[in-house]
Amino acid sequence: MEPVFVRGLAKTFYDEARGEVKAVQGIDFECRAGEIFGLLGANGAGKTTTLRMLSTVLMPTGGSAAILGHDISTDPTAVRKCLGFYSASTALYPRLTARETIEFFARINQYPGDVKQRVDFLVERFGISHYASARVDRLSSGMKQKVSIARTVAHDPPILIFDEPTVGLDVLNALDMQEVIREFRAQGKTILFSTHIMSEAERLCDRIAIIHSGRILACDDLEGLRRATGERYLEDIFVHFVRGQG
Amino acid sequence: MAITFRWADIRLLYLRELRSALRERNIVVNGILVPIFLYPLMLWLIYTGITFVSGQTEGFASRMVLAGVPQEHSAALEEFKRDSRIELKTSSDPANDLRNGNIDLLAEFFPPEPGAPAADSDFRIQVTFDRSKDRSSIARDRFEELIGRYRDRYIERRAGTLGVSAAQLQLFWIETRNVATSRQMGGFILGLMLPLFLIIMVAMGCMFPAIDCTAGEREKSTWETTMTIATPRANVVAAKYLYVATMASLAGILNLAAMLLSMKSVMAPLLRGRAESLSFQIPLLSIPVILAVTVLLALFVASGMMILASFARTFKEGQSMVSPFYIAVFLPILFLQAPGIEFTAGLALIPVVNVAMVAREAIAGTFHWPLIGITLAVEALCVLLALRAAVAILRYEDFLVGSYGGSFGRFLRERLLGGRRRGRQ
Repeated sequence: MEPVFVRGLAKTFYDEARGEVKAVQGIDFECRAGEIFGLLGANGAGKTTTLRMLSTVLMPTGGSAAILGHDISTDPTAVRKCLGFYSASTALYPRLTARETIEFFARINQYPGDVKQRVDFLVERFGISHYASARVDRLSSGMKQKVSIARTVAHDPPILIFDEPTVGLDVLNALDMQEVIREFRAQGKTILFSTHIMSEAERLCDRIAIIHSGRILACDDLEGLRRATGERYLEDIFVHFVRGQG
Repeated sequence: MAITFRWADIRLLYLRELRSALRERNIVVNGILVPIFLYPLMLWLIYTGITFVSGQTEGFASRMVLAGVPQEHSAALEEFKRDSRIELKTSSDPANDLRNGNIDLLAEFFPPEPGAPAADSDFRIQVTFDRSKDRSSIARDRFEELIGRYRDRYIERRAGTLGVSAAQLQLFWIETRNVATSRQMGGFILGLMLPLFLIIMVAMGCMFPAIDCTAGEREKSTWETTMTIATPRANVVAAKYLYVATMASLAGILNLAAMLLSMKSVMAPLLRGRAESLSFQIPLLSIPVILAVTVLLALFVASGMMILASFARTFKEGQSMVSPFYIAVFLPILFLQAPGIEFTAGLALIPVVNVAMVAREAIAGTFHWPLIGITLAVEALCVLLALRAAVAILRYEDFLVGSYGGSFGRFLRERLLGGRRRGRQ
């Protein structure tokens, strides 16, 4: 079985303003070991809900999914242990220092080796050392981003989920983030990545799933999507599928 | 849903909460500094203020008209003239002057009732004053003080001429004696004040951490971060709960210690020198009893506040949810300040009130063990019920994302009573 295996995953919830909302409507996909898998969709397409279900923040109302063989509904703690989840809604604890933050996540997520060494390595790797003892609420957004990535991988998980990781970042920080994601792939990690930025998906992803209104409309590598639509650019490919759906 | 606790994780999470809390100014101020300094300082200021105001009142000279003082008792008149607190006046219409506030008191001396077994020098006095005016009431107190002293000397002189004691001369004689020791008096004063402060401080020490670690986390977007760590959610909730209860217990105990240590200085302005004669100590046995009920109270208040704040999405929503509970916790205690209330089995069954009564009795050195047992059992039961409620709430996804306009009441109405049960885990 692939490291991330999703079958018929669905999520329906009640919204006070909109009533019953079918955010995700029975999606299927797999992520292969060591690849960057992109979920590409507009705002409200169901990307974040899907990733939140995979990271066990939300419970699915239908279907199933497994991370390294652990079912997200029946074994959520094991799922959380083998993945790192990064999103704009997972902020850092403001009153801990950068070093304390990384150490806390390494310990609580049960990093198997020497935690001190791991923290030192991450502090060095992400260039955090000169502000490692500063409280997170006193750091700039670029510094926070680095600490946030370090805490995501503190326990060295084999699966990483990045939910729109470049939202709100300036161009240079966004490029840094893409570089870091590529580096994780080079280390053999499986990466599930969501974005609404076409160029980012085009540049980073080994395979792309186009998601719209809670459904996956297409899933293939860029060449496969080009062949299927006859379009060259991802933007046109995306529009092709979404308009076709409409 | 079976709940499993991993204590190593709970410890890590608990220490993370505590470390964060001790770096938050509001928590340190409300949970540590206020209990230690605010109430002792506030009480000292209040008592100093009262003393100052009463000192100002005592600075007034009481204007009195003494009418018909017999010649034989001119010594009494001299005593009144010598007292700087009294200004003797003359008036052609004293009743009217008293009504208009021109004088504070009219004392009319009369001969004894006709037919009474009295000497020629005996007298009776009719005192007229206006109780609706502070100055007039003070004038009466001063008059009674001076004339009382003169009367005692006069009776002793009369008894001496008859060869009997002053007590024998009077048909009805009252002598009062206070049998309470200085320690008992100190215990009585402490028992009136400390339980009230203990409960206020536990509730206050609980409030900020309870909101901060639930609604506050949502507001700071760290809630979802916490929800993605590799430990069962029950461990997260348990660690937060223990942290809130720790802060609440700490606030209560620190306040109690600070009040005990500073009571003599705090009460000094009010007791004016008599504070030195009082002993503000509590029996050693009362320490574990008070600690036990304080911790149980903290656990109960923490669970109540965390449940109420659990759906709030912002700190403000959390405050509006928790505030009614905060008031409800210490409101019944105010009734306990009424004199003469005894600790009964009925009171031992009322949460919070029972803790105040146990603390009050323990401070005074009284231990009704069956009632203490009932109190511990009732508080423990409340904690268990609250934890059961928390476990039930944990099964709902709304708890994870925050919903219902932050209102726990709306959650109860719409989710549980309204029958909308989707999203239950």
